[in-house]
Amino acid sequence: MIEHLDAEAFTQILTHALGAADYADAFYERRVARSLRLQDGRIHEAGLTVIEGVGIRVLRGEQAGYAYSDDLSLEALRRTARVASLIAKDGAARVRAVALPPLQRAPLMYAGMPDPDAPADSQAYVSLLSRADIAARAFDPRIRQVNASVSDEIQDVIVATSEGRFVRDRRPLVTLGVQCVAEGVARGSGFYGDGGRRGLDYFVTRTPEEIAQESARIATVNCDAADAPAGDMAVVVGAGSGGVLLHEAVGHGLEGDFNRQGTSRYSGRVGERVASELVTIFDDGNLPGERGTIAIDDEGTPGQHKVLVENGILRGYMQDRLNGALMGVASTGSGRRQSFRVPPQPRMCNTYMPSGESTFEEIIASVGRGLYAKSFLGGQVEISKGDFVFMLAEGYLIENGKLTKPVRGATLIGNGPEIMTRVEAVGNDGQLAARYYTCGKAGQYVPVGVGMPTVKVSSVTVGGQAFG
Amino acid sequence: MDELLGVARQAVQLALESGATEAEATAAVSQRFATEARDTTISKLEQSTGRSLGVRVFIDGAKSSLATSDLSADGLRAMVREAVGTARFVERDSLGGLPDDFGKPGPVESLEIYFDDVLAREAEEKIAEVRTLEELIRAYDPRIDNSSGSRVSDAVASIAFANSRGFEGSYRSSSAVRMTNPVARDGDDKRNAAYGSAARTYADLESTLEVATEAARRAIGMCGARKPPTTRLPVIFERDVAAAVLGDIFTALNAANVAVGNSFLIGRVGERIGSEAVTLIDDGRIPRALGTAPFDAEGVATRRTIVFERGTLRTYLYDTYYGRKLGAASTGNAAHGGIGPSNFYLEAGEKSLEELIASTRRGVFVLDTIGFSSESVSGAYSRGARGMMIEDGELAYPIDEFTISGKLPDMLAAIDAVANDLRFDGSITSPSFRIAEMTISGN
Repeated sequence: MIEHLDAEAFTQILTHALGAADYADAFYERRVARSLRLQDGRIHEAGLTVIEGVGIRVLRGEQAGYAYSDDLSLEALRRTARVASLIAKDGAARVRAVALPPLQRAPLMYAGMPDPDAPADSQAYVSLLSRADIAARAFDPRIRQVNASVSDEIQDVIVATSEGRFVRDRRPLVTLGVQCVAEGVARGSGFYGDGGRRGLDYFVTRTPEEIAQESARIATVNCDAADAPAGDMAVVVGAGSGGVLLHEAVGHGLEGDFNRQGTSRYSGRVGERVASELVTIFDDGNLPGERGTIAIDDEGTPGQHKVLVENGILRGYMQDRLNGALMGVASTGSGRRQSFRVPPQPRMCNTYMPSGESTFEEIIASVGRGLYAKSFLGGQVEISKGDFVFMLAEGYLIENGKLTKPVRGATLIGNGPEIMTRVEAVGNDGQLAARYYTCGKAGQYVPVGVGMPTVKVSSVTVGGQAFG
Repeated sequence: MDELLGVARQAVQLALESGATEAEATAAVSQRFATEARDTTISKLEQSTGRSLGVRVFIDGAKSSLATSDLSADGLRAMVREAVGTARFVERDSLGGLPDDFGKPGPVESLEIYFDDVLAREAEEKIAEVRTLEELIRAYDPRIDNSSGSRVSDAVASIAFANSRGFEGSYRSSSAVRMTNPVARDGDDKRNAAYGSAARTYADLESTLEVATEAARRAIGMCGARKPPTTRLPVIFERDVAAAVLGDIFTALNAANVAVGNSFLIGRVGERIGSEAVTLIDDGRIPRALGTAPFDAEGVATRRTIVFERGTLRTYLYDTYYGRKLGAASTGNAAHGGIGPSNFYLEAGEKSLEELIASTRRGVFVLDTIGFSSESVSGAYSRGARGMMIEDGELAYPIDEFTISGKLPDMLAAIDAVANDLRFDGSITSPSFRIAEMTISGN
């Protein structure tokens, strides 16, 4: 913590920034991330990243001025505040008092908070990676290569706003990822990983062996997999990681900036039917210890549970302060940013669909010919037309109501609102993905969670090679 | 610059004092500017100066790296000490360590990567440009009544490098970007497009009129798009999406992936894999190009490497470590955090893009792809796409919501025509090219 950045310092900075604008905020961040990587059965490299700085933002109507500084002297920060305020320089400056209350601490939303001043526990990292390596190689003799990495991060933030918000948060984030290459009929690769906003002790119960075995299993499935089919077919989207579908097909299109600007497929459609009545979608910043969880967002608003779609009806958007204010609604605690170097945007946290009624067996048995898309690497969406893709990590053909042979990774494509109206069954096995995901938007990357029960979509275009 | 070089030297010295056997450091300061307009409103104005330091330390070849924004003496001392401390948990590696041969970077001036006009240009002028871009896209067609904004941004960076073998170097670079994102009304649908131009100097950028016209033409061109049938057809990749395909090829050429079995090109150097039209080059010394630099992240001089020569794989791309591991010299492709391209491109052909289209009886012209993650180990390639259907050598109608798929080695072998529209506006660039047949998945 930087001692000189107290209430008085932030008050000065915000007063400099505010000028003729409506609003100003300052975001202090110090992020310390440690990592260790294993390759070829050996600990291959260590990494340490330390970034620290303050981002200052000034808002007036639709206008946003932004500047940051990694020089934390008051003089540098006052200069940064003046640069950020240039966007509003043609207005008549009003002298307004900024008053900050005592610094609040955000409620604890994270599990196993590590001691930020403790030295790196490199021996623990070594042990996790070595155990993962041994478990992956022992899983199957066809495993030829194992790469594993562990990352352990703490982000300290302070948000101060001209509206009198003054709050701090300390966010842990751990991940353990394992990539395997297997050699069977051909070569195939598998990737799997887990983590969350927790301390390293998460991997006491969620063991590196489990994570490594799952990665090795996917690699051995893929090395014997056939080409994926091409064309429209019924797709059963797997529980957990299938939540990528919600994130891409619906989630991004409900972010406040696109809807305020009217560039989203979902603009102006609150209250309308946008999905089958089986579909309910939440975005939640409050799930303890999950990867997308935030006690406060990067504008100081508490993280929230939001109903995006309820029984097929669009209920609301995800808002940050800027876009919420322009649309006449409050922030939903969705203002997130990659670092102090960039302004916040409306972003998702943990996006998921609650359980329905069908069993997994019933859903598979109901498909004559189709694809079981068990898990996904990720996805992407073009929000104006609403077309999105999601990329298969592990999949199987369904023939006559039974799972048959595995197929190689392929891209699936659909149009968000169209696909969601084709949801024909929702499983009783809702869960968050154990795999970890990072969401990119306009060059900014933030950790997110996704989740879903097993879901049957009557028709999706599968982009494999096998045709005719 | 002397001050920056001083920081880099100090970091190296601190590492050696803390017990490192070798060390290198890159210190950088960058000044960034960006402004954006939507319709008549200036929606964003961002300007900052940021510092960064990257340090790699070795203890008998065991590597640990540090990246930080904190260049203060006290902060640096503690962080470098920790980085050296963690290197003790990394296994000793006889292949690890600094390069033995740095090559000759030559005079930086001849590379033409820094231009004064970028810093000198007034903010008012850039603000006027984004307003103009917004006016021009709307003036192109009344259906363009919205946008995700028009943007002008630039950056100037000073970079200083020092290592414990006494190699030192420094340079400045500049870059500027103009881009716009129109959204067109198409009945109940919205059609977006993104188009931009990037260069080392404002003087090399396409004009606001050219950028706005091309972006607007693309958004309007997609109006009325329909989903094509599932079939196999020739596919022409427009240069920007062609470059994205080269990005996947680069991943397989990256020696770090080759060394760990994660590439479809393992063990295939000397083999004919691509068609006669496939000559792929990595060249870090092309004047004014955006991937040009005098030396790479390890201080090794950049160079020109022929990677594929008329279809035959000649070499992978290396940094020092993976060069040693696979028995080759560094190709000057060390990047911070791995191996990266300098200017990696497909050599241009002689026909224009229009001639390529005209010589295609029936096919698909791809203007945009979405998705990522080709499986590098098998080369399986699959992407969402949109573009135009080609019939009888003409762009017949727009198509969207389909995928294109194939295998990268088959795709390289099937490149049967390359256009002459190469430009160096990124570190991976390509002319448009045609692949004789791919799977189109649609209705």
